[in-house]
Amino acid sequence: MNPTETIRSIQENIARVIKGKPHVIEMSLVALLARGHLLLEDVPGVGKTTLAHSLARSLDCSFKRIQFTSDLLPSDIVGVSIFNRQKQAFEFIPGPIFANIVLADEINRTTPKTQSSLLEAMSEAQISFDNTTYPLHQPFMVIATQNPAEYHGTFPLPESQLDRFLMRLRIGYPSQEEEKKVLDRPQSLHPAEALQPLLTAKDVLSLQEQVDNVLMEDSITDYLLTIVQRTRQSELLSLGVSTRGALALSRAAKAMSFVRGRTYCLPDDIKELAPIVLSHRIMVARAQGVRQRSCEQAERIIQDLVDSIPVPV
Amino acid sequence: MPFDQALRFTSIWLAATSFIGLTLGAGLPEWLTVLTGAALIVALLRNAGRKSVERLAGSMPISTIGWNLLVMLGFLGFWVDMLWVSGDLLPAGIHFLMILMIIKLFTLKLRRDYVHLYAISLVAILASGSLTTELWYLPIFLLYLFAGVWTLLLFQLTKHSEGTQILTMPVVVPPQPSESVDQVTPQLFWLANGLALATFGLTVVIFFTIPRISAGFYQKGFGENIRTSGFSETVNLGEIGPIKRDPSVVMRVELPDGAPHEVGRFYVRGVAFDQYDGKTWTNRLNYRRNISEDAIGTFVLRRSRLPAPPALGETIRQNILLEPLDTPVLFAAPFAEQVSGTFPSLQSDLIGSVYLPFPSSSRIEYSVRSRSNPVLSTDLDSEPILYPESFIRHFLQIPAQSDRIATLAADVTHTQRTTYEKANAILSFLTHNFRYSLDAPLTGQDQPLEEFLFTRKTGYCEHYATAMVMMLRAIGVPARLVTGFLATEWNEYGNYYVVRQQDAHAWVEVHLPHSGWITMDPTPSSIESVGGGFPAWHALGRMMDTLRLQWGRFFVQYSAADQLTVVRELKAGSTSARNKALDSMSTLFSPLLAMLSGVTEYASKWTMRAWAEVLGLALLSLVVLLWLVIKQPWGQGIISKKTTHNEQFIVQLYGQMTTQLARKGISRRTTMPPLEFVRFTQERWSDAGSAVAFITALYCRARFGQIPPTREELSLAEGHLRNLTTLSKS
Repeated sequence: MNPTETIRSIQENIARVIKGKPHVIEMSLVALLARGHLLLEDVPGVGKTTLAHSLARSLDCSFKRIQFTSDLLPSDIVGVSIFNRQKQAFEFIPGPIFANIVLADEINRTTPKTQSSLLEAMSEAQISFDNTTYPLHQPFMVIATQNPAEYHGTFPLPESQLDRFLMRLRIGYPSQEEEKKVLDRPQSLHPAEALQPLLTAKDVLSLQEQVDNVLMEDSITDYLLTIVQRTRQSELLSLGVSTRGALALSRAAKAMSFVRGRTYCLPDDIKELAPIVLSHRIMVARAQGVRQRSCEQAERIIQDLVDSIPVPV
Repeated sequence: MPFDQALRFTSIWLAATSFIGLTLGAGLPEWLTVLTGAALIVALLRNAGRKSVERLAGSMPISTIGWNLLVMLGFLGFWVDMLWVSGDLLPAGIHFLMILMIIKLFTLKLRRDYVHLYAISLVAILASGSLTTELWYLPIFLLYLFAGVWTLLLFQLTKHSEGTQILTMPVVVPPQPSESVDQVTPQLFWLANGLALATFGLTVVIFFTIPRISAGFYQKGFGENIRTSGFSETVNLGEIGPIKRDPSVVMRVELPDGAPHEVGRFYVRGVAFDQYDGKTWTNRLNYRRNISEDAIGTFVLRRSRLPAPPALGETIRQNILLEPLDTPVLFAAPFAEQVSGTFPSLQSDLIGSVYLPFPSSSRIEYSVRSRSNPVLSTDLDSEPILYPESFIRHFLQIPAQSDRIATLAADVTHTQRTTYEKANAILSFLTHNFRYSLDAPLTGQDQPLEEFLFTRKTGYCEHYATAMVMMLRAIGVPARLVTGFLATEWNEYGNYYVVRQQDAHAWVEVHLPHSGWITMDPTPSSIESVGGGFPAWHALGRMMDTLRLQWGRFFVQYSAADQLTVVRELKAGSTSARNKALDSMSTLFSPLLAMLSGVTEYASKWTMRAWAEVLGLALLSLVVLLWLVIKQPWGQGIISKKTTHNEQFIVQLYGQMTTQLARKGISRRTTMPPLEFVRFTQERWSDAGSAVAFITALYCRARFGQIPPTREELSLAEGHLRNLTTLSKS
C-alpha cells in the first residue's frame, strides 16, 4: 500500500468515529507525520478526547491517557522511584508518559509545575530522573486537550510552552445532520474501541522520514518567512512568531503536502496552515481591546495577515 | 531554433574557432588539420539533422570503451610525440589536444561531454593566443568570444535539473506552438550578441586602462628573430642575393612629415664597409663607442655643425618599428643625427652605424632624425684633393688583383675633371651597361667582381656597388660600400614604408671634398616590381598591413609605460588633450575610416568622428551591462531558471490560461495561492473548473515540485486550454 492510500485509509478509519470533521482528522495526521504535538482547544464535549483516542487506536502503538487535575503531580506523569527491598536499591517505575501517543486531557486544569514536566518531555523526547536519562518511545506524540481559557478552574499555559505544540485545532460543533448520525449510533460501545489498527509504530516512523524529503521550493520558503516577519512587525500583535514557529510551519506544510499526496509544497499549504500553526504562538496586543487569549481573535489576525501577503506563483 | 539544437551548434562553432586559431597559430600537421576539420564537419552535419550522416556515425563500430582506449592511445602518442617526433612539450600537447577534440566531437552525448569540449576549446584558444601576436587572432578571438557567450547562455538555459540528461543528437522538438519560450527568439538573439559585444567593449576599455603586470609565465619573445645577412662585420660578396626573394617584413618606417618628395625610393642605412679583399667586405672601423645621451632616451650622434653651413640637407624624421632581427644594427635614413627610444644605451662606430648593445628579441620602436649631405656647389668645380693617411688607408684600399678595374675606371672617367663628375660617370656607366639579375651565381667565383664587370655583365646591387667603389678608389676617390634597405613600398594609409627582406640593398657612399659623404646608387632602378596583378588588390594589402602595424603597435606592444602615459595625460586634465587610449584607437580605426573618407570626401572630420565612435561604443556597452545588471531580465523570467522544454511550456500554458480567465473577468489576486485560485474560479465559472484544475496541478508540479510534465500530460493540458478558449467564446 502506498503512503497516500495508507493515510487515506486512516482518515476514513477515524472518520467513522468523528463525524463531519475531515479537516480536523487530516490536521491531526499532519501533526503526527510532522513529529509534532497537537493541542485541541474547544468547549467540553465536542469530541476532543475521542479524536485523540481514535487516532491512537488506528495506529498499532502504545497509548496512555492522563487526566489532568489540579492535584496531579509531575511524578504522576514521568514516573517514580520506589525502593526495592529485594534488590536493596531504588527502582524507576515509568509513568504514563512512556507511550507512543499520550493523551493529556484537560491540560490546563493542572498546576504549572505539572504542566512543565510534560512539556519538557515533549520538546526533548526524553525524561531525566535521578540523574538518569530515559528516552521516550518513538514515535512520540502528545495530544493535549484544553478548555478555552475563560472557563473556570484553569491554569492557562504560558506562550513559551504553547510554542511546543505544532498546531492548535478547534473542533467546533458538528452540523445537525452529522450530530444526528452520532446520536443514532449504538450506545453500548465506545465507538473508538471498535477501530482496527492500520499502522505500526515502524510504519509511522518511515512515513515521518518520507515527509522530510518533501521539496519546499525557495520562493515558498521566502513566502513563509515573509509571513513570520509580518507577525513580528504587526501592530496588532505584542509577540510575533518565533523561529521555532517558522520551523513548525515549514514542517507542517511538508507533512500536509505529503498527506495530500504531493512530494512538494504549495503556497496553498502555507496559507492554509498559517492560522492553526501560528495563532497559539502569538500574543494579541492589549490595545486591541479584546481578551488576550482569545483563540478566534488570534486566528483571525493571522488570517488577515496572510491575506495581505502576495503569493509566489 | 530550439535551445538544444542551438547549443549543439554553438558548441561546434566554439570548437571550430579554437581549432582555426590553433591551426593558424601553431601550424598543425596536415593530417591532423584535415582530421579535425572533418570531425567538425561531421559534427555539424549531424547537428543539422542529416539522416545519412547520423546513420553513418551511428554505425561506427566503436563502443565507449573503444573511445576510451583511443584516448589512452592518444596519450601514449603524446609521449612518443614529445620525446621523439616533435621533441617538445608544447607542440605535442597541442596535437594531443586536437586528438582529444576529435574524439569528443564523435562522442558528444551527455552534457558533461559538452563541458569537456568547452574546456578543450578554451585551452586551444589560449594556446593559440600565446603562440601568436598576429592580427588574424583578433577576428578569431572575437568569433570565439561570441560563440562562448552564446554557448554559456544556452547551456544555462537548457540545464536540466538532473544535470546529466542526454542531449540526443536527433532533434526532438516537443509539440508546441511557435511562440514557445524555449526557442532562440529575436530578443534572446540580441541579448546574447549584446552581451558579447558589451564584454568586448569592456575588455577594450580595461585593456587600455587597468594596470598590467607584464612578464607572465608565458611571456617570451615574439617568435624567432628574422635572419638577415649583410649587416655583420664581414660580408661575402653575393650574400644579399638569396634573401632578395624573402617577402617577410623587417621594419616599417613611418614618416610623420608625410610622403617624401620622391615616392618609392627610400634608403634605410644599416652598416658600411671600408675593406675589400676581392671576395669579402670587412668593416675595420668597427670600434664601437657609447653615444652620449642628451635627455632620457635621446641619443645625439652628430651635433649640428657650428656655424651651420649655408645649405644643410633636408631633415627627415622617421618613426621606425623594427621587427626582431638577428643583428644589433639600428637602421635609419642616412645620416642619423639623433635617435630616441627606450634603450638603455646605444653605440656607434666610426663609419656612422648605430648599434644596440645586443640584438632585440622583440619588436622595438624608435624615432630618428636624419640629415643627408647635399652636394655643395663648391664641389662641382673643384679639383681632387689630397686626403690624410688614415683616410687613404681605409677608403682608398684596393685588393691586389684589380688592375683591369683600374684601367676600366680610368677609361670611363678620363674626360671628367671633378670628383663629382667622375663619380657620376662611373654611376651612369654601371647603370647603363649592365643587366640586373638575381640569378647571377657569382658567389662561388674566385674573382666575382671581375666576373661581373668583364664576363657576365649581370649581377645585382652588391656587384654594382662593389664595382663602383672599386672603380672610384682606383681613380683616387674615397668611397665605401653601404648595406641597408631600399624601401619602395609606400603605404599611403598609414604614411609609412614597409621594408621587407627582399628590399635588402647595397649602395655606395662617395666622399666629396667639401660636401662630405654622399649617397650614390649604381644599381638600375628598374628593380623588378613587387608583383603584377590587380591594383585594388595591392591597395587592400596595404590597408591590411596598416591594420597589422597598428595592431602590433597598440595592442601587442601596448605596455605599462603607455598606460602610465594615459594616466598622466588624464591627470593633466586639459580638456583639449585627447587621451592616448582614444588616440591610439582612432589611429587603429583611421585606415578604415580613411577608406570611407575617400568615398565621402570629408577627410578632415573622420579622425574626430572615429574616436567619438569608439568612445560611444565603450559607453554603450557599459550602459548595456549596467542595464542588464540592474534589470536582471533573467532574474525572474526565463533565463536562469532550471527549466526544461516541458517546464517552460506548462508555464506558458498557465500564463495563457490566466489570460483566458482574466478575459472572462476572473483574475487572480496576488495574495491568492494557485489552488485557492482554482476554487475561486470553480465558484465563478464551473465549466472551466476541470481544465483550470488540471493545468494548475501540472503547473504547480513543475514550478514548485520541479517535476516537469510529460509529453502526454502536456498535450492533455493543451486540449484543456483549447476547451477553455472555446468555452470563453461561447
